[in-house]
Amino acid sequence: MSEKTQAYGIDLRAVAPHLLLPLAILGVVAVFAMLQPAMLSADNAVNIMKQSSLFFFVACAQLVVIITRGFDLSVGATVSLVSVASSMAMTALLPSIGAGASIFVGVVLGLLIGAAIGAVNGALVAYGRINPFVVTLATMSVFTGVATTISGGFPIFNLPDAFTFAFNQMTILLLPIPLVIAGLVAFALHFSLTRTVHGRVLYVLGDSNEVAHVGGRRVKEHLFLAYVTSGVLASVAGLLMTAQTGSGEPNLGTSLVLSSIAAAVIGGASLRGGTGGISAPVYGSLLIVCLSIGMNLQQINGSLQPVVIGAILVFGAALDAYRTKSR
Amino acid sequence: MNATSTGPGEVISPGTPLVEISHLDKSYGAFKALEDMQFELRAGEVHVLFGENGAGKSTLIQIICGVQNYDSGEYRLFGETLTGLTPAVAHEKGVSIVFQEFSLIPEMTVEENLFLGHEITGGWRLAKSAMRAKVQSVLNRLGFKLDPAARVSTLRRAHQQMVEIAKALLWDCRVLILDEPTASLTDQEAAQLFDIIEQLRDEGLGIIYVSHRMPEITRLADRITVLRDGKYITTVNQADTSEKELVQLMTGRSFDSFFPQIARNPGETVLTFEDVTLQSGHAKNLSFSVRRGEVLGFAGLAGCGKSEVLRAAFGLEKIATGRITANGVALEKHNPRKALSSRICYFPSDRSTEGLAMHQSLTFNSTIAALDDPVFSRRKTLLNRRAERGFTEKMIDKLKIRTPGLTAKADQLSGGNKQKLMIARGLSREFDVFLFDEPTVGVDIQAKLEIYDVIKTLTEEGKAVVIASSELAEVMHMSHRVIVMREGRIVGELDGEAVTESAVLSHFFDHDNKSQAEEQHAS
Repeated sequence: MSEKTQAYGIDLRAVAPHLLLPLAILGVVAVFAMLQPAMLSADNAVNIMKQSSLFFFVACAQLVVIITRGFDLSVGATVSLVSVASSMAMTALLPSIGAGASIFVGVVLGLLIGAAIGAVNGALVAYGRINPFVVTLATMSVFTGVATTISGGFPIFNLPDAFTFAFNQMTILLLPIPLVIAGLVAFALHFSLTRTVHGRVLYVLGDSNEVAHVGGRRVKEHLFLAYVTSGVLASVAGLLMTAQTGSGEPNLGTSLVLSSIAAAVIGGASLRGGTGGISAPVYGSLLIVCLSIGMNLQQINGSLQPVVIGAILVFGAALDAYRTKSR
Repeated sequence: MNATSTGPGEVISPGTPLVEISHLDKSYGAFKALEDMQFELRAGEVHVLFGENGAGKSTLIQIICGVQNYDSGEYRLFGETLTGLTPAVAHEKGVSIVFQEFSLIPEMTVEENLFLGHEITGGWRLAKSAMRAKVQSVLNRLGFKLDPAARVSTLRRAHQQMVEIAKALLWDCRVLILDEPTASLTDQEAAQLFDIIEQLRDEGLGIIYVSHRMPEITRLADRITVLRDGKYITTVNQADTSEKELVQLMTGRSFDSFFPQIARNPGETVLTFEDVTLQSGHAKNLSFSVRRGEVLGFAGLAGCGKSEVLRAAFGLEKIATGRITANGVALEKHNPRKALSSRICYFPSDRSTEGLAMHQSLTFNSTIAALDDPVFSRRKTLLNRRAERGFTEKMIDKLKIRTPGLTAKADQLSGGNKQKLMIARGLSREFDVFLFDEPTVGVDIQAKLEIYDVIKTLTEEGKAVVIASSELAEVMHMSHRVIVMREGRIVGELDGEAVTESAVLSHFFDHDNKSQAEEQHAS
């Protein structure tokens, strides 16, 4: 019956959930545009693109582990530590080996730190069987502390100009470089989630570890890899955000923990695991960044933004509960 | 008869009929689940429903408590003729049922579980003291020494069972239905339960007790109604009958119409257990072999270790000593992955936790065990989604899986179709050995027949099939060879013609019963 009705026209009930978020994002933009015409200026459009691209990576980092019924509270700590450590490496090496080589070392170091933090989380969650909440809460504390300690708590200035140019200001075919990288990563992540055995297993184990195990999958390895991927994605965010601010900041990632979870959840990933595709971080990061930029333009007190993020997270979780109930 | 409407709480004199069923019919499609059924339950008696699985016991109790409707006939509850009974109405009138599978929430306390869905409230808040008092009075009445604040997960099975009974008795209850309540209890725990049942009988409750275990029936029953093939056979007084007679009444049926005839062509040995003892201790000193072209059955009471044997063969149970060999290769550090690549396939009894990823699509579920196969992935990394879709469509067609579509979630399917979806996985790549743990649990009759047909086809194609089942008729009629287990050990192996109900049953219990059953078999 239902198959037939679908064949004769667009089933609104099936399409509506997919339209909800794009409409919500357009709605947010429209409301702020009415209050502040600057919302629609070219400069602001570029700003929205850049900001949401940067934020997109942490939302992706979160998505990969949320699919496995976990989450990663250490994304913010990763961003901070990567920012500080790669900045220190670049500024230290700049006089001796030149801009190009020092940037290369800084970027590679940043990615390695991300992978290493992910590996610690993954090892403790997958092989140590410790609750991801506890594990990543602990590593969040540890690596935030490390970032503050090695930097002495102060920002690291005098990054090579080429770094900020290459990872923030450069445009390719008029598109800002963070957006280009975000596009590439989005494609790669989407491919890996939908077309590879690894991606498939993440969804199945997110639903039930036992089913994946009985299905002959190496559950622990896949789970471990998910946390490493999450760490690497967070470190990309750390590098790009450092290029944006132009300095290494020991508290760069502090506010990202909750907002990254909120972005993935409002975008459609379920904290119960096993669901959510690439559209979740895309829509989630656009929605949150548009709201945040709109509130800045309207000069709404910055302290109110966490209130909004919290509300979005609860709303997203409620939406998920509703979806779960109806299916 | 006496149509005195008895309100809840009213004392009923012993012997008053509580449930009266006559000429009741119930069919599922062409299958007659109940035909011209009769049943009567009086106040103050334990009335045992006796029969094979599939005899219609579950259908009958489901009709009594309003879960199922009936096609024709009469059902009088407390003297009232009833139509369109619902579980809620039955509960309100005082019919309570304790199912085999517990409905308790492990993370909640005893008290919270008892009132789940029926919380007493004072205004907008829970009337905790009122609830506590009510719980205490029920527990006292039953003589249960249970802490109402204890978490259910911390209780032993027997105590959880007590909570289930307390839950049934919390509200005015005049008819209590117990469906194989001792299935997962130890003997000592069961004895405790029997005391409680006797006490409730003395208080004037009518108790319907479903079981096919002789010792329990001898101990508890006042009257026994025997069902066979959905038909009423007779009702006897426990005092006037014998085990012998009951077994005769229960057996002596033909399964020709229900179970398929599977051709037996024993081939090479593909799986061998050599003196295997499990680390968990659930099964010890297992030695047997599985051959192509025949069905090997494992029979025994729940908890006898038959299920663990299959799990061990698939690498889900660690082995302490002994050796498992597949196709001549010893399986060391066994795990499901190795089992699958040794061409062993396992269908767990628990579909919802181990069998199917409930919120994933049919396709995801049907190919999960075959993702390393070149048909479904390139270099074990990139999925071939077209092949996956093609395979799933083929399976939906072949196994007659009724589904809203390919992208439907496993959760949207009925029990039988879920089971068939899981079985599709067994056809996703080449296997030699198929292990079925309770292949038809929670499955409707139509699906059951279809699953039997799959087992027949596999066996006749020359695969080795192993079935562990708590349903005696199933394991007996589907298997060419039956291994009977008791308390983790193999206590008997029967072959071909020797597989008879009494021979199998005789191994279920200890030697006292064995001699009796053999005597009966001889007669």
